[in-house]
Amino acid sequence: MGLSGSESTQALKKTVIIAIFSAVAVVLGIVEAQIPLSAMGLMPGAKLGFANIMILTCIYFLRGRDAFMLVILKTLLTAFILGTFSSLLFSLFGSLLSFAVMFLLMKGGRNRLSLIGVSIAGSIAHNIGQLAAASIVMGTSSILYYLPILLVTGIVTGIAVGYAVRYLVSSLSKISLFEEFLR
Amino acid sequence: MKRADVLLVAVVLIAALAFLVPRYFGNDAKENELVANITVDGKHYRTVKLTKEEQTIDIRTERGYNILKVHDYGIEMYDADCPDKVCLGFGFISRPKQTIVCLPHRVLVEIANQTGEDEIDGIVR
Repeated sequence: MGLSGSESTQALKKTVIIAIFSAVAVVLGIVEAQIPLSAMGLMPGAKLGFANIMILTCIYFLRGRDAFMLVILKTLLTAFILGTFSSLLFSLFGSLLSFAVMFLLMKGGRNRLSLIGVSIAGSIAHNIGQLAAASIVMGTSSILYYLPILLVTGIVTGIAVGYAVRYLVSSLSKISLFEEFLR
Repeated sequence: MKRADVLLVAVVLIAALAFLVPRYFGNDAKENELVANITVDGKHYRTVKLTKEEQTIDIRTERGYNILKVHDYGIEMYDADCPDKVCLGFGFISRPKQTIVCLPHRVLVEIANQTGEDEIDGIVR
């Protein structure tokens, strides 16, 4: 009731966008979980990070607060659906660090990095965050043995996600729902 | 990609190499016997020698079970009932500092050099 007509319209649009992005991010996370990466000889626990596509797109169009909401929603919903509560803490740690890094680079980086660069940094931050959380919980730094491998896989997945975001952003920019959020 | 993107990738690759290179040149462990230190919930659970003969280690906690097998001077996670089964993906490890981690069950297996012929507890980390 406190909002004017145009303000409530924009708030409603943001809510719809966050809801849709959350749903897509969860689906991407579930699809990703079905891919047997370990069988491909990749680092166990490594992920393709498809959900970051929606998070980075959300940071691009909306405010940091909205993207933060998306990160929380996506992580909790994915844990509920996949039943991986015991790993929830690690996903949350990785996701939050990834979000913080991407947000800072997008807003504070003065466009020095392209979307692909921001995506790479976010992907690496996610891996570092998860390893850090695991080290804290297990009470040992032995797990950091896998850090260099995760740095390299972070670059590869970051580039792939970055290109996906680039195409997604250019497509969504043509939809009227997103027009007023363009910078 | 912008120049800053390429710079970021280069820095990360250099960092990864900086971690990896000492791993292959500082390896003098083949002279010593190896042991696997097993911790559960941050507490030391057991230390086993890595022998050629097969041994089975059964770890059962309130979180679930993990079964490890020692053979051919290495160790692997043979089975576990954790939801994601990521720990099964580590495969067979046989080199110092390699680890097998089961986060849902808080189980960690770490390979280390054994020092002193009679002291099982004399582990150098």
